[in-house]
Amino acid sequence: MKKLSFLLSLFLLGGSFTANAGATGDIEALRAEIAAMKAAHEERIMMLEAKLEEVIVAKAAVTTQAAASDNEVALTYAPKRPATNARRVKKNMFNPSIGLVFNGVYTQHETAEGEIAGFAVGHEGERGGEGFAIDHTELNFSSTIDDKFFGSMTAAIVKHEGKTEVELEEAFIQTLPGLGLPTGATVKAGRFLATIGYLNEHHEHTDDFTDRPLPYRVFLDGAYNDDGIQASYVLPTDFYAEIGGGMFRGDDYPFGGSDGEGIDAWSAFARVGGDIGEKQSWRLGGSVLSGKSTTGRESNHEKVSFLGETDLYIADARYTWAPTGNSTNQEFALQGEFFWKTEDGLYSDTETSASNVLMDDSSQGWYLQGTYKFARNWRFGARYSELDAANVPTGLIGSHLDGEGYDPKAYSAMFDWTNSEFSRVRFQYNREELAKGQNDDQFMLQYIMSIGAHAAHKY
Amino acid sequence: MRKFLSSTLLAMSAACLCCASFSVTAALQVFACEPEWASLASEIGGNKVKTFSATHARQDPHYIKARPSLMSKVRKADLIVCSGADLEIGWLPLLLERAGASVQPGMVGNLMAYQYVPLIEIPTSIDRSMGDIHPDGNPHIHLNPRNLILVGKELTNRLASIDTANAGFYESRYGQFVVKMNQAIEGWLSDGKDLKGMRVITKHKSLSYLIDFFGLEEVSSLEPRPGLPPTSSHLAQVLESVSAMKARAIVRAPYESDRGVDWIVSKANIRNLVVPYTVNGDDESGDLFSLFDRTLAILKSAL
Repeated sequence: MKKLSFLLSLFLLGGSFTANAGATGDIEALRAEIAAMKAAHEERIMMLEAKLEEVIVAKAAVTTQAAASDNEVALTYAPKRPATNARRVKKNMFNPSIGLVFNGVYTQHETAEGEIAGFAVGHEGERGGEGFAIDHTELNFSSTIDDKFFGSMTAAIVKHEGKTEVELEEAFIQTLPGLGLPTGATVKAGRFLATIGYLNEHHEHTDDFTDRPLPYRVFLDGAYNDDGIQASYVLPTDFYAEIGGGMFRGDDYPFGGSDGEGIDAWSAFARVGGDIGEKQSWRLGGSVLSGKSTTGRESNHEKVSFLGETDLYIADARYTWAPTGNSTNQEFALQGEFFWKTEDGLYSDTETSASNVLMDDSSQGWYLQGTYKFARNWRFGARYSELDAANVPTGLIGSHLDGEGYDPKAYSAMFDWTNSEFSRVRFQYNREELAKGQNDDQFMLQYIMSIGAHAAHKY
Repeated sequence: MRKFLSSTLLAMSAACLCCASFSVTAALQVFACEPEWASLASEIGGNKVKTFSATHARQDPHYIKARPSLMSKVRKADLIVCSGADLEIGWLPLLLERAGASVQPGMVGNLMAYQYVPLIEIPTSIDRSMGDIHPDGNPHIHLNPRNLILVGKELTNRLASIDTANAGFYESRYGQFVVKMNQAIEGWLSDGKDLKGMRVITKHKSLSYLIDFFGLEEVSSLEPRPGLPPTSSHLAQVLESVSAMKARAIVRAPYESDRGVDWIVSKANIRNLVVPYTVNGDDESGDLFSLFDRTLAILKSAL
């Protein structure tokens, strides 16, 4: 019965009033009701028309009044202007923004070895060199391409095994809202720092510490920037919520050796965030990076290679506090990420002559850091990172992947001075216990300075 | 059966009417970067707009972060109103990446107030060694109330072209606002005529338009260069010149730190004034009119 009447009312709302709709009494009652509704609507329309008329008359009056008052303002308001007629230097929107980041560091290590027990480590994940060095010098060009696209390129000039090389960190195009995608949606294509975890999509010069935390070093070789395409969408919710995902060539660590056939890696992420009162803000995220190394991923100075599938799951959180929400003079930020990696494939290690040993296991790692800005130009911070290596099969005992049950860990403390948003000088102390009996005290003194255009930093 | 049927019908048509009337009266979402523009949008838009301000009086609009919560707000905005002139350069571009096409730069839903007023302190040459300078001129334009009339006119145009159904409503409210503001300006100028020539020391260049409006004279600033914090040697210099220049007050905005201020005040005969700077800068500055009433009263207390 209920169902019938519901269907019936739907049918009626559809606009066809057919005769087979039940008893005559019902039909008449309905007719009366519809007539009443019709009358009510007509009355409303008439009222609105009358209102519209009133508004049009009022508008004409106001326009003349407003025009008169504007003239008054113009007459009485003659502001001060500089007396000189020197040429005004303005940004030229037809030229791309150009920015250069200088990054220099002096490092001192205690131990000769800096190996991370039980992990395959890529070039960027290794411990840095000692002494004076210029780290990545980043050169960035970016601009809107037209009304629908934005383009950005970041190249890092680095020294690698005695040779100065140019690394293409990012070269991507991104859709602008003018393209007409749904509001909140963007697509990025090219090579870029993928949106996974917290730190990954940030350029290293914006980091709070001189080096990346251990999980980034072993699981992502610093950062995952592969060739591919990525889409993201900010949901129309009252709090911040964003989802997205990408497809990649699968050439960058933790993958590698892609033969270019098909899509070897993909990613997905979801994030939420908001404010708690006016002083606190937070963001939480979860992401997955999954793919395969088809012809072999090299690591540990080309001694270790891996063929197979890797899945990486990351959870990230960030919380900030500032008095009255004004971070100019005081701010506290807490940030942490947890990584869980599963690998299923064949490992080889040329040093132990282990060849194509099957490994199907998981490893994990996490870090937690806090930074406190206690005065306008000064901050200090502390960080702890820890790793938990996989258990190795018999064939890999004694290889680079054999951590002998040891959990590598690192403690860091930093202190920095920021003269302006363009210059920062930092002192950092690390105690790295990355392998059994290998306790390394490290001191680093670093400067990061930039000239030219400088993109706004992400939350 | 009959009763049920008719009540279902009624409920459904009521729901339809609700939907229809909701889409007609759904308030226009105005995202203001600073409270003064949210307040101006409410003056003109009345109950037809819903305003949100990304910052409040105790936050330095130069330096807030592109927080996640702001991203969800800006995504829903029909109109964005900001001071512009690079004041929000550190965070607004990131937010706009995720906003709608109609609020992008150059579109009708993107109003940068500085483009509609005469700017002061336009640098004739720029160099990063000069500190945090704004190539287009000083962006703190709302502290000359005449600028509110000029920006209000453009804001009315924008509201009227986004929400054409209520164009007449916005224009009529703007007309009322102009009349009221012109009267208020006359009142402030006559009440504040004694302030003309009063010498003040500022913290940052955030009050230049106010100084211009009342004819105050800014003799020194605690920041050696815009955006750079006061150094002790610079403060010593300022202190030395306090008596020589007969400065009456150190004036600053609520979000500017008191670093160095107390030190000078304790050593020299000078008043320490915090003006509200923007709407809700203190308890008595609830709207644009009381903002200037209150500012005038505070400045006059140093006479």
